[in-house]
Amino acid sequence: MNVLVWMVWVVAACSLLSSGIAVVLFSNPFFSALALIVNLASLAVLYLLLSAEFVAAAQVLVYAGAVVVMFLFVIAYLGGRADAPWAGGPTTQSLAAIGAAGAIAVEVVIVVALKAGGRLAGAAEIPAAYGSPANIGRLFLGPHLLAFEVTSIVLLVAAIGGVILGTAVSRESRG
Amino acid sequence: MAGPGIAAYLILSVLLFATGAFGVLIRRSPLIILLALEIMLNAGNLALIAFARHAGNGAGQIFALTVMVVAAAEAVVGLGLIVAVSRQRVALDVDKLNSLRG
Amino acid sequence: MIAAAWIALLSPAAAVVAIGLLGMRITRFQAGVIASAAMFVSFVGSVVALVSLLGERADERTHYSTLWTWLSAGSFKVGAEILVDPLSVFMMLVVSGVGFLILSYAVGYMHGDPEERRYHAYKALFVFSMLLLVQSGNLLLLLAGWGMVGLSSYLLINFWHFRWTAVAAGKKAFIMNAVGDATFALALFLLIQRTGSVDFRAVFQHDVVKQSSIVATLIALGLLGGAVAKSAQVPLHTWLPDAMEGPTPVSALIHAATMVTAGVYLIARTHVLFELAPAIQHLAGILGAITILLAGLIALVQVDIKRVIAYSTMSQIGYMFVGVGLGAYGAGLFHLMTHAFFKALLFMAAGIVIHAVSDEQDIRRMGGLARALPLTYRGFLVGSLALAAVPPFAGFFSKDSILGSAVNAGALGWILWSAAAVGAFLTALYTFRLLFVVFWGEMSAFAREHLHVRRFEGGLAMAWPVAVLTVLAAFGGWLQVPGLWRRVDHWLDPVARSGEEATGVTFAFSLVVTLALSLAGIFLAWRLWGRPSPVPERTRRRYPWAARTLEEKFYFDRAYDLAFYEPSSRTALAATQFVEEPLFLASLRDLGRGVRFASGRLSTVQTGSVRSYALALGAGAAVIALVFLLVS
Repeated sequence: MNVLVWMVWVVAACSLLSSGIAVVLFSNPFFSALALIVNLASLAVLYLLLSAEFVAAAQVLVYAGAVVVMFLFVIAYLGGRADAPWAGGPTTQSLAAIGAAGAIAVEVVIVVALKAGGRLAGAAEIPAAYGSPANIGRLFLGPHLLAFEVTSIVLLVAAIGGVILGTAVSRESRG
Repeated sequence: MAGPGIAAYLILSVLLFATGAFGVLIRRSPLIILLALEIMLNAGNLALIAFARHAGNGAGQIFALTVMVVAAAEAVVGLGLIVAVSRQRVALDVDKLNSLRG
Repeated sequence: MIAAAWIALLSPAAAVVAIGLLGMRITRFQAGVIASAAMFVSFVGSVVALVSLLGERADERTHYSTLWTWLSAGSFKVGAEILVDPLSVFMMLVVSGVGFLILSYAVGYMHGDPEERRYHAYKALFVFSMLLLVQSGNLLLLLAGWGMVGLSSYLLINFWHFRWTAVAAGKKAFIMNAVGDATFALALFLLIQRTGSVDFRAVFQHDVVKQSSIVATLIALGLLGGAVAKSAQVPLHTWLPDAMEGPTPVSALIHAATMVTAGVYLIARTHVLFELAPAIQHLAGILGAITILLAGLIALVQVDIKRVIAYSTMSQIGYMFVGVGLGAYGAGLFHLMTHAFFKALLFMAAGIVIHAVSDEQDIRRMGGLARALPLTYRGFLVGSLALAAVPPFAGFFSKDSILGSAVNAGALGWILWSAAAVGAFLTALYTFRLLFVVFWGEMSAFAREHLHVRRFEGGLAMAWPVAVLTVLAAFGGWLQVPGLWRRVDHWLDPVARSGEEATGVTFAFSLVVTLALSLAGIFLAWRLWGRPSPVPERTRRRYPWAARTLEEKFYFDRAYDLAFYEPSSRTALAATQFVEEPLFLASLRDLGRGVRFASGRLSTVQTGSVRSYALALGAGAAVIALVFLLVS
């Protein structure tokens, strides 16, 4: 059982990192978007391993189902042009980017591996219904009602913003 | 907890985050920058859920869901902007969109 | 009677409000009519008050009326209080009567001025302030009226605000008057501190004032300072000639008939305090005498028709000061009244002359106007005869009343009498110089070229007040004939008992000498200016220093410039140069320069490239994480 979990975890982790790198490095945005689907799916697997069933489902539905599809539409609309990330050899910007991203990664790894010590050992016991929709729903409509409502307003504003961005420009281009 | 502990998840999370950040920093296409941003947000989500599991507390999951919603909203607005910019027949290159230069 | 007095006080205020609120909805002419009508209502109210007082016994003719408590601080209370007694009714009649005539005249005089409505509103405001001054039942309200007449005088002097000389003259008048207002206010502070009251009844009865001569002296000195500034006596007199920059009806009403005589009223009103400080009261008389001589001498060389009359006003107020300074309140106020008549007449006639020669005021460019303006000439002649104290015109009786009281007032009285007698000679001389130069002789080329005469020599609106004042100047003096009857003295006795006039030989001596001096002055004026004569020019050439001193007005303005203007302007310039420039301006300039330089450098950081911003963000996050790592 334990070995099986580890095997799943390792496969998901490898898939996660490699698809992430693929998203960043593909020169064609279409492929990048496809790689992002793989990335999100791997994450969903990890969420399942963390007993967050509802979040895993939402991840697949919201991200893979909605957001990435939207990306694909836009990419199809604009055409598959994109920059080649390494064209023209390494620049100051790209070297500094490697430095900054690497520094953050190394620093956090050091913290987690060396500094945290025993404080990260021993996870809490959780009930069977921990990540179930019922539990999440109770949390959302109970202690986190405010966050729930604010989130809905954020979505509403984003929807209106999207509409305005689309229509205003199209009217302008017509005139 | 069966399987890897929180430390493994956190390391995975920061590696993913660094990958996303790296993408944001080196790519010039706004579309791919947005994709890399999604990766960064998801890395954060992973850490949140790992911590939630570690603490046995559901609040982290709520947080992760909220982040997801914000990420969706951000994608909507970001893509809307990209489409609007492309309609102005401007090249989709963040290095050329520098009219705010001081 | 009380109601009539309140109506008399408030109707000009109502006119101000009405003209102000109606604004452009009424024509300029209507604004003038509103103001004049309000004055007429005032005058009728004053007459009603007079008649009711006449129906009472002499010692019961004092009535106070308080509408509400105006100010209250602890036990100190001041009411909005008017006083109706013989003195205030006397002043009310002069102010509202002459005010009514002059405002009616102004309707014609100011006709066509673009800001006529404002003018009429200011004028009504002035009459309200002046009535407040003379009617107020306590010293604080009197001070309020005192300040308000100063304000309206300021507003009217620089009414023609596009002329910088008018603006400067207004400021000068305001500042000189503020000096007097300050000493007045200081006197009131002392009074409040010592007696806790500014009420006439309480103050005059108060033991502290009665016993302490030092306090009484200081208070009287403060009040005298106010009176001297307001009445343009030496040494605070220099504003009055400059105030002639205002429209002529303003000069007639404010700077001849009413406001400038407020000092005389103040001394008469507070004579109880002055009598407790005889030195100060004598000082008032002495200053008056000095003013008589100085102003009379300066008037001899002035060439501006209005300035000559202005100096004459100063000199005549000097007579009033001599009168009240020697305790002859009846005589002083009698002269105040006749002076209001004949001086307003002279100013208004001068206004007609100025209009007729296209707003020229220099008498050297006039001449021979008697034929062109016969009615005005007659009015001016009557006014001049009254001013020169020729019987039977008004000035003769009032001036001789003062002089007759002076000879009965001891050694000081004789000294002041001498000055006043010399002043009588000077008065006749400069008055008839003006008359001869303006009206006699050949008409000058300038006058021929610019002369234009309207019907009634200035329109009906201007003609009839002049006619009324001519009659008053001719016969107004019969109210009090020395030796026969003394209506004014008796009327004022309940408020301020006048000193005894001389009788018999002394009085006859005074009368004959001053009359002889006046006639001599007229004769000399005729010899010098009544016909072409080389004497004035020759005299001027023989004594250039004397002419210069007179033309420089005894160097008062120069002295004030040197004493006050020069030091402060130099200090200010030095402060600008050595303090403001290096300390404030330079440091601010450098600060600005530094900020601009730094921001210029900083702005290059703003590349507009999103990626470099993101890089900065990421690198910053890495650095902060590193710091946490190293610190923990």
